[in-house]
Amino acid sequence: MSEADFIKAIKANHPDLVVSAEVLRSKRVSAVVKREGFIEVAKTLRDDLGFKFPVSGGAIDFPKEEKMQMMYYLMNPESKFMLIYKVDLPRDDLKLPSLTQVWEAMSFHEREAHEMFGIEFEGHDNMIPLLLSPDWRGGHPLRKDFKGEGSEE
Amino acid sequence: MTEPVIEPDIMRMSWGPQHPMSGQTRILLDIDGEKVHRIIADLGFTHRGIEKILENRTFLQGIIPMERMVMADTPNIGLGYVMATEEAMGIEVPERANWIRSMICEMARINSHLYAFGLQAESTGYFPAVFLWTTVDRTIILRLFEELTGARWSLNFFMPGGVHKDLPKGFEDKVIEGVEYLRRRFEQYWVAMVENATFELRCDHVGVLKPEDAIRLGATGPVLRGSGIPIDVRKDEPYAAYGDLDFEVITESACDSMARTKVRYREIGQSLDIMEQVANEVPSGPIRTNVPLFARAKAAEVLSRVETARGEMGVHLFTDGGMNPYRVKIHSPTLRNMYVFERLAELDEILVADIPVLINSIDPWYLDSDR
Repeated sequence: MSEADFIKAIKANHPDLVVSAEVLRSKRVSAVVKREGFIEVAKTLRDDLGFKFPVSGGAIDFPKEEKMQMMYYLMNPESKFMLIYKVDLPRDDLKLPSLTQVWEAMSFHEREAHEMFGIEFEGHDNMIPLLLSPDWRGGHPLRKDFKGEGSEE
Repeated sequence: MTEPVIEPDIMRMSWGPQHPMSGQTRILLDIDGEKVHRIIADLGFTHRGIEKILENRTFLQGIIPMERMVMADTPNIGLGYVMATEEAMGIEVPERANWIRSMICEMARINSHLYAFGLQAESTGYFPAVFLWTTVDRTIILRLFEELTGARWSLNFFMPGGVHKDLPKGFEDKVIEGVEYLRRRFEQYWVAMVENATFELRCDHVGVLKPEDAIRLGATGPVLRGSGIPIDVRKDEPYAAYGDLDFEVITESACDSMARTKVRYREIGQSLDIMEQVANEVPSGPIRTNVPLFARAKAAEVLSRVETARGEMGVHLFTDGGMNPYRVKIHSPTLRNMYVFERLAELDEILVADIPVLINSIDPWYLDSDR
């Protein structure tokens, strides 16, 4: 499957749920989906489009646009191209169903996004800090408005 | 971290955080006698916030904190960031620079794999001398690094547009000399260690990771190839000069700790071949295109991928037209493999005595998983 075929396939499968899908360059595609159809599209990706291989996950903060974006990186082990699977979250409502029900290996990455950005993952069974210390009270370090006050209570 | 409830008859053992094998981390083992029921990796003891630091550095300055991720393998890590920067700025790299980059990366891979191999021998409890042998052999590589870059560990040799310096006069001959010496040692290690009955007893059938589990759990690098899946960024998406170089992707089908050790070991042989090819055939020409010291990148989103010694590392770089990156997301290979390590207790029967062998077969570098 080529990159263009993939874009066609994902748009044909879920015309209402996929906001946009584009080819970044060869072997890189990115797709933005709506939050409500986020798990449904992920299951199609895994079962029908061959993205069986979870790579990583992370978020990015856009304070000017009042949103954050959660990104999951997935790979198709046959065609060897990488998909950046994105979902937009309004900054005042950072809730997302956990993708561990589709790819359980996203567990560590969601724990990291939770502590670094404050995104709530509903249905994640072990939401404890991954990298930060348990007594950290300094906020979410990778947000753009983080000032670096440290961990004093 | 909040401690989950421990079942009766199960004891929780804390392994670490004071340098349990390589680096600082804590591993919690729920054990019933000798049998390990559950493994919990408690990471983060060496978290330095590299992703945040990079947001406050120019693209050139960022290479220095970036390379602190894996000290045994700095060129491969640095190259991931440099390649992302080049793609965002639209910089072309001269051919000679690409060949030199490939050679340095393979030298670092040998350095890192020899370190892992020595630790694996030591972790079995029988071969304390082998770690010293590999340490001595690593100095061959480190001396070459020192002559080329002035540093033995953190090279900071790659920069957007190419490499810092050209190869010194007669450097190619020294590389060939080093390759010949390491090849002889390579054969000796195979006979003394890899085919050693005691080593086999300790490593065979320990922590079996089936191919479908390796894919499902997102394993990478030698852990993935030790389960027989030929995924290697150098072949799938050739960067630097790997498209022109002749090498194969090493896989092993046994899926156990021994297979992962063998993959790493046989990769040293491939890396030696690459070093020799570059030393013999490196094209002449310029070594870098000039990039302004405080260059700006147009607003862009790029994702570069490199194959480090521990597996695939990705750098997802967002730029907004300023002199610093807007956001850098690093895909850490050790973080992915640590998740696999956590789940291995469910996939295979593991004894407490197997834990050192098992964790070294993953070849973790906690500075890498913690960033």
